[in-house]
Amino acid sequence: MSMEPFNRMVKLAARAFYDDVSIMGESQSKPGRIDNRGMTVIVLDALTRRQWVREEDLAKALKLHSKQLRRTLRFFEEEKLITRVHRKESAKGAKNFNAAIAATRDTQQTTKEGEEKMKMHMHSYCCLDYAQILDVVRYRMHRMKKKLKDELDSRNTIQEYICPNCGRRYSAFDALQLVSMEDEYFHCENCNGELVAESEKLAAEQLGDGDDNARKRRHEKLKDMYQKMEDQLKPLIAQLDRVKDLPAPEFGTLQAWEARARAASQANGDSNASDSKNIQGQGYGGTPMPFLGETSIEVALSGVEAKEETEPDIKPTALKVIPPWMIKQGMNLTIEQRRGIMPEPNVEHNSDDKKSSVDDKKPSADRDNEKSLQDEYLKAYYAALVKRQEEEEASRRIQQQTELSTSAAEEPVDRRVGMKSKREDDEDIEWESAAGTGNSSQSYKLADLNAEADASDDDNGGDDDDIAWEEG
Amino acid sequence: MFFHITLERNMQLHPRHFGPHLRDKLVAKLMKDVEGTCSGRHGFVVAITGVEDIGKGLIREGTGFVTFPVKYQAVVFRPFKGEILEAVVTMVNKMGFFAEAGPVQIFVSNHLIPDDMEFQSGDMPNYTTSDGSVKIQKDSEVRLKIIGTRVDATEIFCIGTIKDDFLGVINDPGVTA
Repeated sequence: MSMEPFNRMVKLAARAFYDDVSIMGESQSKPGRIDNRGMTVIVLDALTRRQWVREEDLAKALKLHSKQLRRTLRFFEEEKLITRVHRKESAKGAKNFNAAIAATRDTQQTTKEGEEKMKMHMHSYCCLDYAQILDVVRYRMHRMKKKLKDELDSRNTIQEYICPNCGRRYSAFDALQLVSMEDEYFHCENCNGELVAESEKLAAEQLGDGDDNARKRRHEKLKDMYQKMEDQLKPLIAQLDRVKDLPAPEFGTLQAWEARARAASQANGDSNASDSKNIQGQGYGGTPMPFLGETSIEVALSGVEAKEETEPDIKPTALKVIPPWMIKQGMNLTIEQRRGIMPEPNVEHNSDDKKSSVDDKKPSADRDNEKSLQDEYLKAYYAALVKRQEEEEASRRIQQQTELSTSAAEEPVDRRVGMKSKREDDEDIEWESAAGTGNSSQSYKLADLNAEADASDDDNGGDDDDIAWEEG
Repeated sequence: MFFHITLERNMQLHPRHFGPHLRDKLVAKLMKDVEGTCSGRHGFVVAITGVEDIGKGLIREGTGFVTFPVKYQAVVFRPFKGEILEAVVTMVNKMGFFAEAGPVQIFVSNHLIPDDMEFQSGDMPNYTTSDGSVKIQKDSEVRLKIIGTRVDATEIFCIGTIKDDFLGVINDPGVTA
């Protein structure tokens, strides 16, 4: 991203010019004032890491009082470093902005629909304006050098006069018209106040010395100042040179940026599009899915890149196949989830054993052809696998039955203990409810799946007694 | 700096001047109108040296006035930035002093007066060195350098300095020739 050299330039400029600026409020009393020099640097650094940001969010992130932050941002706006936009929004609109930010950062977010506040608050947004910063910094350097050079070289400075009353400025040219008063001073045109000469001397003078000496000393001082300035600003100058040929990153107006970010997030397929409801929450059930599709993480800020998408939307129609290593005993899963194919009536088992499933991690809605091929492949594969597993099952079942018979005696014992068994029941119930939400989409499809789920539930209960570590 | 240039002007003449001395009357009118004026472009017109050409007169509609385009040559004076002039001090002030170099007025602020010269008020305010050797007062002649000019449509102002080498008082007004 082309922002890195610009960010560095901004940071250097902040530390060179603004690190001793303290933003004070007028209403604060002198002992109460906190010395907050350097806050400007922190704020500028924070802004280099963000694009368009709401000022309240920035205040929260930096742990500053929003009033102080606003004063600082106002100062930056006057220095032409940032652009600010104030707009009236309802709280909903503010959430749109949140979603847009989240999209940029690729974090997941669920939008809370439902709280509809139609009150319009004034929200302020700000963003660094890189092109302008470059110009401003270069102009500042140019003025500094010019001032020093003027003083150094020829002392051809034209005097300026200021009226202390009304603050009006006059040049020495105007003095020719201002003068003709009889009392030796220049008077302001408006208020007749005495004009004060504005001294432009950067080097202090020592009176009483011989003319040459004082001049030489001043000359030396100015030279030193110039030299020091060059040395201290050398890294900034170098960075400016590097950066001035590159195109500055452009974020556009707030609306444009928001629209872009939202479009990018929708194309991304993440579930943080602010206007679509969060259907995907159900599809995820209890298992975090592996990343879907080949979406690139890099979000293009200057221009939205067309993202390679494998699916525009995650349809909740297909239940995800869970890889075998994710399946824990006691999870209320359908055969589909375990195996990845529609369960055939032939191959009906009390599915308490893990069936290996093919890693079908890319259910692509638009590649239907591939999917059908895959399904067929799966069927064939499973047919072969089933046979082998049947044998294993048969052997295991014999084992289990023997265990069950032994544990059957234990069960009533457990129940008599009372609380513990109840807890187990509760946990069974919890499993049910958890699985229930996961299965609720299935209930729309096949009734017999539910029946199977119950059946498997009982068996799982049996398993629970054997394997105690489940209920943790 | 002085220049000798050709200028052009449209002169209007009242019919009462028509007669055998029309041309003389026209030239006289021209001199009266132009000499001593200042234009921003050319500077101060010091003197008209000669009339080059007088074109055919055009009678204006409605009035009987006649307009003649006149080409003439004149000496003009225009100050430039960086120029070094001799000037005569006209007024001394706490903020500096005013000097005149012919038609142009120059102001030298105290910021551009050498530091060893201090203002002394009195009935003859002046700037003088600590040892009293050099004095700037009214009617002193001073060599100064122009560091800025402001050119309006009809006026030119200048700012000068005497802080550089070889500038300052030339002639002591106390010395009478």
